[in-house]
Amino acid sequence: MEKIKPLCLTATVASVAFLACIWTASSALAIDNETCLECHSDDTLTRTESTGMKDSLFVDLNKFKYSVHNVNGVACVDCHADIEELDMDNEVPHAVSLAPVNCGNCHDEVAEAYQNSVHKKASHKGVDIPCYACHAYHDTTRLAMATVSERQNSFCLKCHDPYKAHDWLPAKENHFAMVECTVCHAPEVPRHVNLRFFDLVDSAFLKGDVIMRHLQTDPSGFTDLIDKDGDGTISQQEFEDLVLMLRQKDIRGVFHGELVAEINPIVHQVNRGKANRDCSQCHSVTSNFFQDVRMTFDMDDGSVSSYNVDRQVLQTYFVTFNALGTTRVRLLDKIGIALIAGGVAVVLLHLSVRLFTIPLRRKKLDHPEA
Amino acid sequence: MSKEYVHPAPVRVWHWINAFAFVLLVITGVQIRFAELINFLSLEDAVRLHNWVGFIVIADYALWYIYYFSTGKIRLYYPNLRTFAADAIKQAKYYGCGIFKGEPNPHHMTADNKFNAMQQKAYVMLMFIFLPAQIITGIFLWQVKGFENYIDMLGGIRIVDTIHVLIFYFFAAFMIAHTYLATLGHTPLAHFKAMFTGYEDH
Ligand code: HEC
Ligand code: HEC
Ligand code: HEC
Ligand code: HEC
Ligand code: HEC
Ligand code: HEC
Repeated sequence: MEKIKPLCLTATVASVAFLACIWTASSALAIDNETCLECHSDDTLTRTESTGMKDSLFVDLNKFKYSVHNVNGVACVDCHADIEELDMDNEVPHAVSLAPVNCGNCHDEVAEAYQNSVHKKASHKGVDIPCYACHAYHDTTRLAMATVSERQNSFCLKCHDPYKAHDWLPAKENHFAMVECTVCHAPEVPRHVNLRFFDLVDSAFLKGDVIMRHLQTDPSGFTDLIDKDGDGTISQQEFEDLVLMLRQKDIRGVFHGELVAEINPIVHQVNRGKANRDCSQCHSVTSNFFQDVRMTFDMDDGSVSSYNVDRQVLQTYFVTFNALGTTRVRLLDKIGIALIAGGVAVVLLHLSVRLFTIPLRRKKLDHPEA
Repeated sequence: MSKEYVHPAPVRVWHWINAFAFVLLVITGVQIRFAELINFLSLEDAVRLHNWVGFIVIADYALWYIYYFSTGKIRLYYPNLRTFAADAIKQAKYYGCGIFKGEPNPHHMTADNKFNAMQQKAYVMLMFIFLPAQIITGIFLWQVKGFENYIDMLGGIRIVDTIHVLIFYFFAAFMIAHTYLATLGHTPLAHFKAMFTGYEDH
């Protein structure tokens, strides 16, 4: 029987794993981070550009420490790969002018996908948008758990004001808050609805660890606890049971839903005039934008567990995700149709009796005394 | 047959703008809610039209409100509490039975006493509860992010949406009944004509 496996990031890890071999081989004889930081942890280390601007050469270890690269053992010289040795006799122990870091050395699939992007193509016009314009470099973070606003604020919004470009789009704020830019702008990318638990009492998203603790389980036990029929998907009933269980532990909240892009290289293929503007692709019950619904929990150790959820839950009152048409509560339509059908029926009935009794009234008109 | 001036011009203007706008709102509303089934407008156009027409209804409601309150005619809508129940029953009996036998309508429409007891009840609810509720939820749904706080006060977007949709269905059903009831004049088109000319026949 298949159980829900945390979708984790096994696939990405695997694909990067073999790259890991390549660079660990080189880092065996490489210089460790401490050596670099002897100089570069000094926040006064600067260099004066020919333009007179001061350039900081400070690397903030407190940020670097938590970056996805450091966590995965990527060292300074793995990125600054042209530093092969340090000659400590010099004031600058390495070449003064280093080659730009090539992220594509390790992220080759992404680098390739990025070729087909308006941002990469801008280099023909002399505008160079490197990977780190979006991702930063010494404090690159994982994206799976990032909210839409985190993804946008640190990415697209640095350079674009979406309110200047979407005159045609109704409910702009709502779209920008709930739909990641790339869901529309990289239309090929797979997407899913990400549900995260929002505590209404504290008005904050609840950490995965806290939820697991209250349920007295952990990410691997969660499946057995919630997915009782073991079909690999949390059904609406199972979902409502979960909400109830949390209520019993005095945790009151709703699942907050957002439409996000898959962590997939083709998310980079943003191009002019290619965005999805067919509203009904999204706003209809048959839309395939909402097939894939996941509940995600971020754990303190930086991992992310996510579980498949039946899309039916989007219609429940425990999910704050209201995509016109798509997630409508069907019960309302049944009530509505009953109302209208009732109205029509009464009218038709009354009308037929009225027509049927015409002779009666005509007789009365002809013989008023009768 | 005598004629009496029952529907002053502002009321007629209000009524027909409202009627036309309601039809548009129902059509665009259905398109918005059932985008996968119906396709006579793109969703984008449907939403834009729905929003615009929504504001027309709001302006029209303001016209109605100002007219009726400034002239004091709003009294037309207040039921006479003493006779209300009996009148309503009489009226219901007429519609359910008497009308088929050709009995006269127990309510006699005049400029000062325009609505029968059933109409009064229906219209008071419509104009003071349903339409305002629809307007408010509509405004909230128009700018969900902007009215976030108010929406949360009402219990979240789902609740607001539910109210809006239920009242939408109610209005759709109401319009069918209303149009039919309007054919119950002394000729099927009499009330329709009156709503254009302002004069009801007696
Ligand atoms: C002895 C001190 C010292 C050590 C150790 C050191 N650096 Fe530097 N580094 C400097 C100085 C000084 C500069 C500024 C050079 C200049 O004047 O342009 C610099 C510049 C740089 C630059 C910017 C170069 C450019 O092209 O813009 C990078 C990147 C860099 N260092 C990385 C490293 C790395 C990685 C390590 C460890 C392998 C390291 N450094 C170790 C002193 C040091
Ligand atoms: C994920 C790859 C990556 C890692 C790991 C990394 N860097 Fe960098 N670093 C870059 C990029 C990209 C730049 C931007 C300029 C460029 O392309 O060389 C940069 C720039 C710098 C600069 C120039 C000043 C600045 O902030 O722009 C210094 C100094 C530096 N790195 C030192 C270090 C040190 C020391 C470490 C290890 C603690 C380190 N780097 C680890 C990618 C990395
Ligand atoms: C215009 C902004 C932008 C630029 C430039 C950019 N990225 Fe991304 N990158 C994104 C976004 C957005 C995501 C997806 C995050 C999401 O789904 O929200 C992403 C995801 C990623 C991921 C995780 C996805 C995966 O398949 O593992 C990696 C790795 C990555 N980018 C590396 C790069 C590299 C390398 C470059 C340069 C070749 C680059 N990015 C350039 C915006 C950008
Ligand atoms: C030496 C190899 C190497 C280089 C060079 C490198 N990375 Fe990475 N990167 C990794 C590894 C390993 C991970 C962790 C992969 C994983 O577990 O998914 C990672 C993860 C990432 C992630 C997070 C992906 C996710 O799944 O959320 C992003 C974003 C990213 N890198 C961007 C960059 C950018 C931007 C650059 C260039 C400044 C860069 N990387 C350079 C090895 C590298
Ligand atoms: C570093 C700044 C920067 C970031 C970050 C950035 N862009 Fe851009 N973007 C540009 C520039 C510059 C152009 C214009 C390229 C050209 O003229 O060829 C552009 C072009 C575009 C275009 C084409 C339409 C146009 O105005 O020319 C779209 C769509 C777009 N970006 C979307 C995005 C999205 C979505 C993100 C976030 C994932 C993003 N951008 C992040 C700088 C950026
Ligand atoms: C609902 C889908 C959708 C969302 C969400 C969305 N966009 Fe767009 N965007 C479009 C469409 C459609 C266009 C029209 C141009 C096109 O077809 O590419 C457009 C145009 C643009 C343009 C101008 C492109 C041009 O060709 O002139 C930029 C820049 C842009 N968007 C950035 C963003 C950013 C940044 C975000 C996130 C904050 C975002 N968009 C969110 C659909 C969307």
